[in-house]
Amino acid sequence: MAKGVVLVVDDEAPIRDILGFYLKRAGYHVLMAGNGRHALEEMARLQPDLIVSDLKMPEMGGDELCKRVKADPVLKDAYFIIVSALDGTASKIGGLNLGADDMISKPFHAQEVLAKIDSAFRLIAMQKEIRQKNRELTSFQERMEGELSLAAALQLGLLPQLPGQAPGVRWSHRYLPAEGIGGDIYALAPAPDGGTAIMIADVSGHGVTAALISAMVKTSFESQVRSGGGPLAWVEGMNRDLTRSILAEQFATAWVGHLEPESGRLRYVVAGHTSPFRIHSGAEGGLRRPEFLQGKGFMLGLDESLPFTEQESELPAGDRLVLYTDGLVEVEREDREMLGEEGLLRICAELPANADQAAGHIVTRVQAFNGPVTFRDDVTLVVLDRVG
Amino acid sequence: MLNIQTRQEGSASVVTIQGKVNFEVTAQLRDVIRETVATQQPKLLVINLDGVSFIDSSGLGLLVAARNSVDKSGGKLHLACLPPAVKKTFDQTNLTNYFSIFATEQDALRGA
Repeated sequence: MAKGVVLVVDDEAPIRDILGFYLKRAGYHVLMAGNGRHALEEMARLQPDLIVSDLKMPEMGGDELCKRVKADPVLKDAYFIIVSALDGTASKIGGLNLGADDMISKPFHAQEVLAKIDSAFRLIAMQKEIRQKNRELTSFQERMEGELSLAAALQLGLLPQLPGQAPGVRWSHRYLPAEGIGGDIYALAPAPDGGTAIMIADVSGHGVTAALISAMVKTSFESQVRSGGGPLAWVEGMNRDLTRSILAEQFATAWVGHLEPESGRLRYVVAGHTSPFRIHSGAEGGLRRPEFLQGKGFMLGLDESLPFTEQESELPAGDRLVLYTDGLVEVEREDREMLGEEGLLRICAELPANADQAAGHIVTRVQAFNGPVTFRDDVTLVVLDRVG
Repeated sequence: MLNIQTRQEGSASVVTIQGKVNFEVTAQLRDVIRETVATQQPKLLVINLDGVSFIDSSGLGLLVAARNSVDKSGGKLHLACLPPAVKKTFDQTNLTNYFSIFATEQDALRGA
């Protein structure tokens, strides 16, 4: 098999013959042309890897040929060497400005030309390999992006449908994953005792791994809720499930609650998660005084034997619960300030009565505080109103 | 920007961290801790958090994994000098009760 295809363009037959002889002996497939126009005709038949062309020729010189080759989308990758009797740096620079890849001055030794062509072919081989790798990478990236957007769509499907409605509650949410797919999740599920189970969780890290674990968290929560008991039993079960199935350094923070739709009694367990706010009469809108739902506890997935504690509160009709993940308040502004939970508490002091509008209002206000800096972590916000 | 320094104090290794510990820098910190544990096999690993302005859940996860890996090799992990913001995060996640936490590096080295 030939080492490659070389097109020799020169109006002097003896020069073509000498170069052709050496190149063939070195294992190249050689094409010949007497001027630029003939060279283009040759190239229409077989595309060369390298062109070595004289500069001054009748009908079409090497400069025009070079310009045309380099402007042609198919031919432009051919390595172009201009051979010129005009010695000196000025003409070399002129040749390279035409887009030629290299220059050879006349008179030349055929061996010198051959050495140049051999080295050019090493470059060509590398370029070909790079282009090939690039094509492979591009196609890999496209495949991955396709998979990711599919996964992102699936993950959106794991979130509750909006507008959200369950016994005793109505809610809306904003869900903004940092990488199209993220480690945040929330869910509401009917408890066997007629209550409504509520869960929000944030898996450490983000991207695909975090997303897989978040799906696991949701599945675990739903199966725990189905098996009865209350938030404490559910969180202990979720912690067991996660400790057994996730890798070192992967953990989840969660807040899990149980609401009795008739009485508004709210039992909950904090598993390392940021405290939700309760806003008395928040569902009526206007100026209010939000307060943290107190509590603390270990993250899920650390250790099977860690204890959790259950807290109790009330959510009378008309009250509002604001649940969120820390990505909402932990954006570092250009001046290094962070909104923090206190800042979010201030924003929540005055919200529209409609839960969906309230969620939108909160995100808008947080973004206004952050300025041009965008969210870096997954963000989930749930505004949940107790209805009588 | 995270600044990490390591040094030996007898059979103990001390890792001093300065800056914000979040998911963008955990890989860097993980490498340092892993290498320290692998090469020094310290009986005691002290992580000094005095210069840490912020730690997020991936940073917490990293510290928990560090404790587990030191536990496995028969050593101990002590945390020292938690600034108020970090202390608050630890409180919220109950990690104050999961780690051995000391007010000063000297206390952490003594294990007092």
